[in-house]
Amino acid sequence: MAHAISQGLVLQTKGLRKHFGGVQAVNGVDLAVPPGDLRAIIGPNGAGKTTLFNLISGDIAHDTGHIYFAGEEVSGVPPHRLYRRGMGRTFQITSIFKQLTALENVQTAFLSYHRRHFNLWTPGRRLYRDDALALLERVGLREQAAKPSTILAHGDKRRLELAIALASAPRLLLLDEPTAGMAPRERHEIMALVARIAGDTGLTVVFTEHDMDVVFAVARRITVLHQGAVLAEGAPAEVRANGDVQRVYLGSTH
Amino acid sequence: MSWITNGPLITVQVMSGLSVGMLLFLVSVGMSLIFGVTRIVNLAHGCFYMVGAYLMVTLVEILPDRAWTFWLALLLAPLGVAALGGLIEIGLLRLIYHRDPLMQLILTFGLILVIGTLVLLAWGPDNKSVSRPEALAGSVKIFGQPFPSYYVLVLVLAPIVAIGLWLVFYRTRWGMLVRAATVDREMLGALGVNVAALYTQVFMFGSWLAGFGGALAAPTVAVALGMDGDVLTTAFVVVVIGGLGSFAGSFIGALLVGLLQSFGILIFPAISIVLLFALMAIVLIVRPWGLLGRPEA
Amino acid sequence: MRSAAWLVLVLVVLALAPLALPPFFLQLLTEIAIVGLFATAFNLLMGFGGMVSFGHAAYFALGAYTAALLVKRLGVPLLLALPAAPIVAAAGALLFGFFIVRLSHTYFAMLSLAFAQIVFTVIFKWKTLTGGDDGLLDVWPPTLLKSPAAYYYFTLAIVGVCIWALHAIVASPFGYALKAVRENPRRARYIGIDVRRHQLAAFVISGAFSGVAGGLFAFYNGSVFPDFAYFTKSFEPLVVALLGGVQSFFGPLAGAFGFKLLEWAISRQWPVYWPLFLGAVVVVVIVLLPSGFVGLVGGRLWRTRSAKA
Repeated sequence: MAHAISQGLVLQTKGLRKHFGGVQAVNGVDLAVPPGDLRAIIGPNGAGKTTLFNLISGDIAHDTGHIYFAGEEVSGVPPHRLYRRGMGRTFQITSIFKQLTALENVQTAFLSYHRRHFNLWTPGRRLYRDDALALLERVGLREQAAKPSTILAHGDKRRLELAIALASAPRLLLLDEPTAGMAPRERHEIMALVARIAGDTGLTVVFTEHDMDVVFAVARRITVLHQGAVLAEGAPAEVRANGDVQRVYLGSTH
Repeated sequence: MSWITNGPLITVQVMSGLSVGMLLFLVSVGMSLIFGVTRIVNLAHGCFYMVGAYLMVTLVEILPDRAWTFWLALLLAPLGVAALGGLIEIGLLRLIYHRDPLMQLILTFGLILVIGTLVLLAWGPDNKSVSRPEALAGSVKIFGQPFPSYYVLVLVLAPIVAIGLWLVFYRTRWGMLVRAATVDREMLGALGVNVAALYTQVFMFGSWLAGFGGALAAPTVAVALGMDGDVLTTAFVVVVIGGLGSFAGSFIGALLVGLLQSFGILIFPAISIVLLFALMAIVLIVRPWGLLGRPEA
Repeated sequence: MRSAAWLVLVLVVLALAPLALPPFFLQLLTEIAIVGLFATAFNLLMGFGGMVSFGHAAYFALGAYTAALLVKRLGVPLLLALPAAPIVAAAGALLFGFFIVRLSHTYFAMLSLAFAQIVFTVIFKWKTLTGGDDGLLDVWPPTLLKSPAAYYYFTLAIVGVCIWALHAIVASPFGYALKAVRENPRRARYIGIDVRRHQLAAFVISGAFSGVAGGLFAFYNGSVFPDFAYFTKSFEPLVVALLGGVQSFFGPLAGAFGFKLLEWAISRQWPVYWPLFLGAVVVVVIVLLPSGFVGLVGGRLWRTRSAKA
């Protein structure tokens, strides 16, 4: 890949590096994610997946390399500004507004996205109510809209977090272990949901995942990380057949 | 501002600033120590200072009038404060160590009112004073400038205490335990140390320090209700600048604040508080956890 | 709409009070309204914003002194002096808040306390301006509002408007975002909210309304003193809010009733013991309270009536 910024890629990284103390967590990662891709990033624990996410979403600064979002270099852009440029993210440990109802959670996301969060006089409960309900419907939480989100089941909390991230109609959605803590069937359900939404809206999704069944069922392309670098990349079948990958990661279980 | 070139005057101001700083150090390091180990900010710490001063008043009154009266009072008053601290730690704080820090803050805030009223009830609303011991009642000449002799005592005594503290923390086993506790309390418990007793000791030691500061300061200030508020605010400024939980930070912060107050008075009496605020603001912007503090505090 | 019916009932009772109650009780009700406003403004920060200020008296005092100084030194009429109170209080909150919203809870608490002490000291020492320890006396409202009943209605009106405004703010998008910031600052950042800016704005609003309470109190009391900025005053909104419940909007108002009645009962017998009682009650309540702060703030969330989904 030439050093010229490839047009059309939603996300691209070149030679991304990050070390912590003596550990090279991310060691020269090149990533090219076209629009509409459903990219799974897999790799053993410690492979650098979450660090990579944190670098891309602006949480931490990289040492060397470049990150391009929708064609523009985004080094040093803080999360809340990347958010406004169209990058959404969910976290490994569910991060929602616990004491607010599910509906309020999503409404707040809309309010903030539309920059109305300094409005002091309009009753908030009316604003973006329909939009928020529609989004909750989309992720299968319409029934739970009025419930305080703290009492929702784990899987529903994850769906809620997804809804919050989707409120800004992002171009790119980063999902960090979206199915963590869920039973196998629910994992498939939620990722199928993500795939559906992505298909409908043209959203690009990059997610990390440990459950290989889910990965092979949903992902369009897979990037395998090992010790901070890209070990293999390609369509699911290619990756599955790749000898290196089998040795390092899939082991003898597949 | 003709005083700027007046060397002797400046020397005297510096020395006076340092003495004030030393007294402040005693209070601040106590608060910092308590926080470092127990993670509780004792909002009532200023009250310990105040009680130390009031106890000095009473002790000097009731002890027979001899040459050693002042010194005995200076010895006993802080012990009284330490006892009060122990009572509070055992009776109240032990019950809330596991609680939300906000709850702990509110509780120590409540203690300010309780102790303040008790002082009022015990000593009445009028200002009190403690006379300096005869030997130190006058002034000495520093480069021709008069300087109160009592402050010389402070300048001599407080660093001795500071060095003593350093020795305790870095050369005794107990001090090592205290330092270990500021870093990792759970480990200490796992190693079989009686952490509860350590907490009590630390709290008593911290209140002793504040009481000693108050007792030592008594002959230099008006012993009155409300002295807890002033010293508390200044102590806060010190630990914010120096870093909560840092011994050296309290030392440096206290000296800075003492000097600032001393020179502030030369410029404009009320301005010292504004200067304090400005200094604190700068530190907060540049290093929110204090010059020598740790970010996680 | 049951709550609206209750509201109307309460308003009617309050409006008719002067016909039935002797002036002393009207004065008590006036004080309750003022403390209620102070505590509600404080609770915007504590209950809804998750920030506990230990020095809110600063803004109360700034408001009180602003109003008093304008009337006494510059002969400004009350109706102009009173609006100035929240402006100066808000300026103070902006100045102090700018520094303290960047800090963790512990430093926030310490510094909010320290800043209040600074205000106290400045008021105390700047005798030429503020009268220092002697305070400012003869700060009375114009004859029209001087009678207990008249000032009672006046206070009720102003406090009513302020409470209505605070309620609107809590229910507004700003309020939603504030609660989000309280719940999960990181997530709030990730949906585009500038957390510090939001907290500072809440701090300023809270300070402004506290200033109104201070201004109202200045004319009610007829005088202002430095201890309007002292610890004991800072304690009031905290205790009132805790008493009434920080998780609901009207909790502090309810708490104000209980608080003032208690104060009246205890202060008239043993005035010296009131701070002792206050402090001791708080200490005892904290020790006995089963759940921590989360229980107070998070137990029952404030419903915005969007619950009827």
